[in-house]
Amino acid sequence: MTPELLQVAAFTVATALAATALAVPPAIAIAWVLARGRFPGRALLETVVSLPLVVPPVATGLLLLYVFGRRGPLGASLASAGLDVVFTWRGVVLAMAVMGLPLVVRTARTAFEQVDARYEQVAATLGARPLRVFFSISLPLAARGVVAGAVLGFARALGEFGATIMIAGNIPGRTRTLATAIYSYTETGRDSQAAAVAAVSIGLAFAAVAISNRLAGAAR
Amino acid sequence: MALGAWGLGLGGQPADVQVAAAVSLTEALQEIAAAAEKQQRIRVTLNLAASNVLARQIVSGSGADVFISADAAQMDVVAKEGLIRQRVDLLVNQLVVAVRSDSKVALASETDLTKPGVRRIAIGDPAGVPAGVYAKQFLEKAGLWRRLESKIVPTASVRAALAALESGDVDAAMVYRTDLGIARSVRAAFPPLPEPRVLYPAALLSATPHAARFFEYLRSPAAAAIFRRHGFGSVACNEDRVPEAVKAA
Repeated sequence: MTPELLQVAAFTVATALAATALAVPPAIAIAWVLARGRFPGRALLETVVSLPLVVPPVATGLLLLYVFGRRGPLGASLASAGLDVVFTWRGVVLAMAVMGLPLVVRTARTAFEQVDARYEQVAATLGARPLRVFFSISLPLAARGVVAGAVLGFARALGEFGATIMIAGNIPGRTRTLATAIYSYTETGRDSQAAAVAAVSIGLAFAAVAISNRLAGAAR
Repeated sequence: MALGAWGLGLGGQPADVQVAAAVSLTEALQEIAAAAEKQQRIRVTLNLAASNVLARQIVSGSGADVFISADAAQMDVVAKEGLIRQRVDLLVNQLVVAVRSDSKVALASETDLTKPGVRRIAIGDPAGVPAGVYAKQFLEKAGLWRRLESKIVPTASVRAALAALESGDVDAAMVYRTDLGIARSVRAAFPPLPEPRVLYPAALLSATPHAARFFEYLRSPAAAAIFRRHGFGSVACNEDRVPEAVKAA
């Protein structure tokens, strides 16, 4: 492995981990309300959360670019606080988190739905507040599914391309990931390097999906 | 070629000419294609992208009839595969350092790009995109590349560098002088760079007569007039070969 490839691989794994950490808490909250909640707008939330799965990733990237660009509604205030998103590692993490979120939500939601609601009801009748019920009953019982979802989201983040290249660009040593490196190497005719990066990404994705499947299988 | 034969066979259908061209030529070529379609029985399909992308596509068999590259290196990629039937140097252009019209950073020369107010500079990916290759060449010769390297944002094409500047996500961009014609709220920070010389070679790749006719048309005075109106220097016009005069202009 060349130092360049090692750097890109390490950067991709690090940003994918950060993206997973960023996506998991909201994903758990959304998964929980979708599994247990009955409220107006539930179907809408369900649809919106799934959108990144089916919308072209570059369209998601474009939307993020509008919102987080230096002139965008959120980007302007972040930039004035010294937190540039576009063309930085933060953009990579954001793109990965948004693209990974739906997978975490879907897997975690299934896990929450499989938790027997009677345990939660019993805890509630014994006086536990909803938050305590969630953290001491629901989350532990759904833990394997939630972790499987997180690993799946991590795997998706590792391979993210479309949204990443829109918002973070493809800057060697700063925002270049395994996926955008393959693209660059191919566009500039460095086929053997592209193949080497592709091999590394396949290896990483294989490991992540295998772990996710193992966890999800054990949860059932 | 198959499409061309099909066109000729039907008699009534205009023959299709596939033109792969550097994205910086977009507006000029759209106009030239429309003019050529009126004059000849052809339908021109434009495939506009960074020249390195097009060279890759052509080498992989994308089936272009005519290729116009923004630098000689990418044309050489195609030439090496023995795909070129005829090659001419068609146009010249210049690089320019562009900033947003509302930019508060005063740039008198390329040296000012080192100012802290310039945090990011977009250029075409210097690993292949011609505009980026030229820009890197220029900055290296000016002794600025090493100091500016950490500010460089490489983009997929010169138009992507321009777009990054328009959106305000970079503070400066190195693009072609001709790109400023289509840009919104963007201006040249100082006069265009005298070097490197930006040269567009054009090549005829297919043997079909209508492709050859369009290739001829590219070098006609009518086409040269359109190219000039869009700011390009025309060096391969059939009628008046005056490269030195155009270069000076």
